[in-house]
Amino acid sequence: MHDLPGQATSQLTAPSVAPSRHLGRITLDVRQNLPPWKQAVFVGGSLILGLAISVAILAAVGVSPVTLASELASVLTADSLRGVLVQAAPLVLVGLSASLAFRIGFWNLGLEGQMIFGGIFAAAVSIYDIGPPSTRLLMMGFGAALGGALWVLLVALLKIRFRVNEIIATLLLNYVAMYFLFHLLYGAWQDSKTAFPQSTPFRPFERLGDIGYGINGGLIVAIVSVLLAGWLIHLSRIGFYTRFISANPRMAKIVGVPVQTMTVCIIAASGACAGLAGFVNVASQEGRLTQSFSNGYVFSGVLIAFLSRNDPIVVAVVGFLIAVLFITGQTLQVFYQVPFAMVQMIEAIIVIAVASSEFLIRHRVRWIR
Amino acid sequence: MNDFLINWLANVPVTAVPYALAALGLIVSERSGVLNLTAEGLMLIGALAGAGTCLTLGGYPAIALLVAMLAASLVSLLFAILVVVLRVNQVIAGLSVVFFCQGLTGLIGTLAKWQNKQIAGLGNLKIWPLSEIPVIGRIFFMQDSVVYLTVLIFFAVNFILFRTMLGLRLRAVGENPAASDAAGVSVSLHRILAIVAGSSLIGLAGGYISVVSVKLWVTGMVGGRGWIAVALVVFARWAPWPALWGALLFGCIEALIPHVAAAGIRVPQYLMLMTPYLATIAVMVWVGAKDRRGSQEPGALGQPHVREERR
Repeated sequence: MHDLPGQATSQLTAPSVAPSRHLGRITLDVRQNLPPWKQAVFVGGSLILGLAISVAILAAVGVSPVTLASELASVLTADSLRGVLVQAAPLVLVGLSASLAFRIGFWNLGLEGQMIFGGIFAAAVSIYDIGPPSTRLLMMGFGAALGGALWVLLVALLKIRFRVNEIIATLLLNYVAMYFLFHLLYGAWQDSKTAFPQSTPFRPFERLGDIGYGINGGLIVAIVSVLLAGWLIHLSRIGFYTRFISANPRMAKIVGVPVQTMTVCIIAASGACAGLAGFVNVASQEGRLTQSFSNGYVFSGVLIAFLSRNDPIVVAVVGFLIAVLFITGQTLQVFYQVPFAMVQMIEAIIVIAVASSEFLIRHRVRWIR
Repeated sequence: MNDFLINWLANVPVTAVPYALAALGLIVSERSGVLNLTAEGLMLIGALAGAGTCLTLGGYPAIALLVAMLAASLVSLLFAILVVVLRVNQVIAGLSVVFFCQGLTGLIGTLAKWQNKQIAGLGNLKIWPLSEIPVIGRIFFMQDSVVYLTVLIFFAVNFILFRTMLGLRLRAVGENPAASDAAGVSVSLHRILAIVAGSSLIGLAGGYISVVSVKLWVTGMVGGRGWIAVALVVFARWAPWPALWGALLFGCIEALIPHVAAAGIRVPQYLMLMTPYLATIAVMVWVGAKDRRGSQEPGALGQPHVREERR
C-alpha cells in the first residue's frame, strides 16, 4: 500500500516530460473557508469593479465622471436627502419582501404584481370610503398588505398543489396584475375630471406626508417593517425554523418543524411587504393610483436581498444606497437625457460583479504546468 | 364567421414563430444542463439589433435577422461565462442578464433614436400555385420565409440533438456531467457551445418580432414572451416537437386577441390581453397535475460542474 503515493506522483509528473506540447492548465481547488476580511476584500473589489464599469458606460453615454461625482454629492445634501429617504421606503420594503422569500427558498419575482395589488387594495379603501378618516391610513396599509399577500399566496398554492415553478408563475402574474391595473384605470376607476388613466387623487388624510424633521410617513412603515422582520429572523423561533428549513427541509420535517405552515406564512409575509411598498408609493409619492408606480422594482428587490445576504437589518442600509442610485438616475434622466433604463443596467452590473466574486471566495484558481 | 376563422388561423404562424424559436433555443441550452432564464433579455437584444440594422442599412431584413442572431449570441457569452466558468447561481445569473439586457436595449434604443420608427420589414412569400388553394392557401402558403425556415430549423436541431455525436455529448453533459467528464467530454466547452447556439435562435425569435411581425422597435416590446417560452420548455419536457405544438397553441391564443375586437365582440381589452399569461399558468398547472412521477428535465439542470469538487 505504501508505494501507491509514489505511483501516483510518477503519473502526475508524466505530462512535464514534454513541456513544449502544452502550456499547462488551470485547475480549481475548492476552498473550505476563507477569513472574513479576505471575503470582504473580494466582494469590495468586485463591487468597485462593477461601479467602475458603470461609470465607464455613463462616460461613454456623455456623463463625465466629474459631473457624476458632483451630482452624487448634491444628492446627499439635506434638501435632496429628503427625496432619497422618500425613495428608500419602497425600496427597503421590496428588498425585505425578496429577502424573506429567498430565506425559505421561494423565488418570489412577483414583487411588482404584489405592489400593484397592494396599491389597488389601498386605493379601494380610499375610493369606497372604508372606515373613519382617523384610521383610514392604517386601513389602507392593512389592505395593501393583504392584497400583496393574497396575490403571492395564489402562487404558493399553485406551487404546493400543482408544483408550478414559482419563478415563471410570479413573473407571468406581474403582467396579469399590470393589465388588471390598466383595466381599472382605463375603466371604472378613471379620474372623471381629467380623463387621464389615473384614479382620483387621495384626500389629505389618506396620504403619507411628512411627519416633521423631513421624515416621510412611508419611511416609518419601512423602519417598522425592518425592525419587525429583524426580530422575526434573528430573535424569534420562526427565524430559527426558517434557517433550519433552508438548510435541510427533510430533517426539519422529521424533527417536527411545521415546514408547510412556516413556508406559507413567510411567503405571505413576503407578499405583504411588497404590498406595503405599493401602498407607500401610491400614498406618498404619487398620491393616487397611477399606471407605472411599480415599474423597475422587481430587480431592485432581488438586488437588495442579494447584496444584503437576506439579512433584514442590512436590507435597510442597502435599500438606502439603492435609493441614492435611483435619485441620481432620475437627475441624470432630467438633466442629461440619460434614460432611466441606465439605473436598471447599473443594478444588473453590480449583481453580476458581486455574484462573480463568490467564485473567488469558494475556489482557488491555480495554474499547473 | 368563416372569414374570421381564416383571418385568425392565417395569423397564427406569425405569433407562434417567436415562441417556437425561443423555446427551441432554450431547449438546446437546457439540454446541456444549464437552467436558462435569459430568453426575455436576449429576445430584446435580438429585437433591438434587428430593428437597428434595418434602420441604419435602410432595409435588408435578412441581414437584420442575422445580426439579431449574432448580437444575442454575443451577449449570451456573458451568461455562459457567469454560469459555466464562474459558477454563479444560475437563477441569479439569468435574471441579471435579463435586467442587463432590458437596461441596455432601453439605453441604446433611446440614445440611437430607434424608438417607434417604421421598418420596411419582410414581406410574405406566395408559393404559387399552392397559395391559390381556397382556404389552405391563405393559411399555409402565404407566410413570410422565416415561418418555413423555422420548420427547417426544427428538423435540423432535432437531427443534431438526437442523431449526431455532438448532440449525444451535449445531452450527456446535461444528464451526468461527472460521467461525461470522465469519458473525456469537455463539460464547459459543450455547455458554452449550447448556450451560444441556443441564444442565436432566441435572438432570431426577438429579431422576428421587431423586423417581421411588428416592424418597429419599442422599449420592452418582447412583453413577457421570453418568460412564456421558458414555461413552454417545461410544458414540452425539453423536447423540440412538443415545443412547436405548444408554440402553435400560444400563437393561436395571441392571434385571437386582435381578431376578437375586430369582429365586434365586446370583451374588456385589458382583460383580453391577460389571456396569454393566464393560459401559460393554466398549462403549467395541467403539466403539474398530470405528471405526478416528476418531470423529465435533464438530470443536472441547474447544477454547476467542477471536476475537483466531490458531491
